Amino acid sequence: MPATSAIDPLTELMPRIAAGDRAALRQLYQATSAKLFGVCLRILSNRDESEDVLQEVYITIWRRADRFEAGRASVMTWISTIARNRAIDRLRARGPLAYAEQVEELEIDDGMPRADALLEAAQDGEALGKCLSELDERTEKVIRTAFFEGVTYEALAARMEAPLGTVKSWIRRGLAKLKGCLES
Amino acid sequence: MSEPLIPDLPEDEAFAAEHALGVLNAGERAVAELRMARDPAFAAHVEAWRHRLAPMLAAIAPVEAPAGLWPRIERGLPANDNDGRGVKFWRGWAMGGMGLAAASMAAVVVLATRPPEMIAPPTPGQLLNARLDTSGGQHLFVAAYDPVREKLIVTSLVAPGTDPVHVHELWLIPADGKPRSLGLIAPGTSKTLPMPQGLPALTTEGASIAVSVEPPGGSKQDGPSGPVAAIGKLAKI
Repeated sequence: MPATSAIDPLTELMPRIAAGDRAALRQLYQATSAKLFGVCLRILSNRDESEDVLQEVYITIWRRADRFEAGRASVMTWISTIARNRAIDRLRARGPLAYAEQVEELEIDDGMPRADALLEAAQDGEALGKCLSELDERTEKVIRTAFFEGVTYEALAARMEAPLGTVKSWIRRGLAKLKGCLES
Repeated sequence: MSEPLIPDLPEDEAFAAEHALGVLNAGERAVAELRMARDPAFAAHVEAWRHRLAPMLAAIAPVEAPAGLWPRIERGLPANDNDGRGVKFWRGWAMGGMGLAAASMAAVVVLATRPPEMIAPPTPGQLLNARLDTSGGQHLFVAAYDPVREKLIVTSLVAPGTDPVHVHELWLIPADGKPRSLGLIAPGTSKTLPMPQGLPALTTEGASIAVSVEPPGGSKQDGPSGPVAAIGKLAKI
């Protein structure tokens, strides 16, 4: 994301990690592991699996820190995206219809974040939140569910008791509208 | 509907957006990953969509990670392979600008968790082994080299049937940075490759094994003609 690097204290850790500095990775872990564990748990709802995935994620960061481009995304976004993708891969390994049983004690909040919780520049979060809320309610819900739970079209269709093609078209149309709104 | 008509996303971008959103199934994810490796325009679409959706990540509450995880991670850290002339050269040449493509992975987790030892022949202590990762660290291939028999055993973790119009070509990139072809490997298969003459001496710890995506029959030139889908360094087990 643009221009967050100047104020992102994690950015300076990345070249050190890329150069093989374990202390720098440890610092990154201390600053970010709770967030990334939250991301894994949100998708997997299973602590053991999330722990395994989290371990893989930091090893991936260790090996790939040289690919981080400060101008394109904040460190937190970059590594959260890695964690989310790894968790989705793990979820897929359970089978095409797999989705996590929601763990109630996590008190997951699917709403848009409070301003103080934003990872990105506040405008980015606000713009996305606003554009999501402009979609019809069902489309907004299905896009949020897909993002936060990492489930397949097949699983979404089964859960919503709607034909696969219908769910697919809700999402595709919703994404097209979202893009139009974000660019306006 | 009273809303203005919004044009559909072009098919390529819609598929990229679906990958970024995370609704693709395992096979489709693998297709999307390999496509990112060989199609920079598609990779850029995926990145742009990740960027658009990323603010939602902020809504996910942090949960303290289990105590004792850091020491486990630290113990498991491999030698950091971010240095090395040959690999840098390759990245610049073949993976430049992939950026956030890094953050993605193909849907081969089940297979990828299989320990490489399973395919290693019984000469422990001598073997070199490499995990070939995409730019995002997803393991797409594992390789073990037996210097006694001068054979490389490679397993593709790519889902069988993925991307039938291309082939995957294996390369050795020794210390001189010049790629040498080792042959082709079909998705989802294992193969034992005798090392071509002259190469065993170059197949040492720190040399890289890479896979490029090529037209049927493999690269027609002296070196890869398509993008590198995965790369990894040989290290002692």
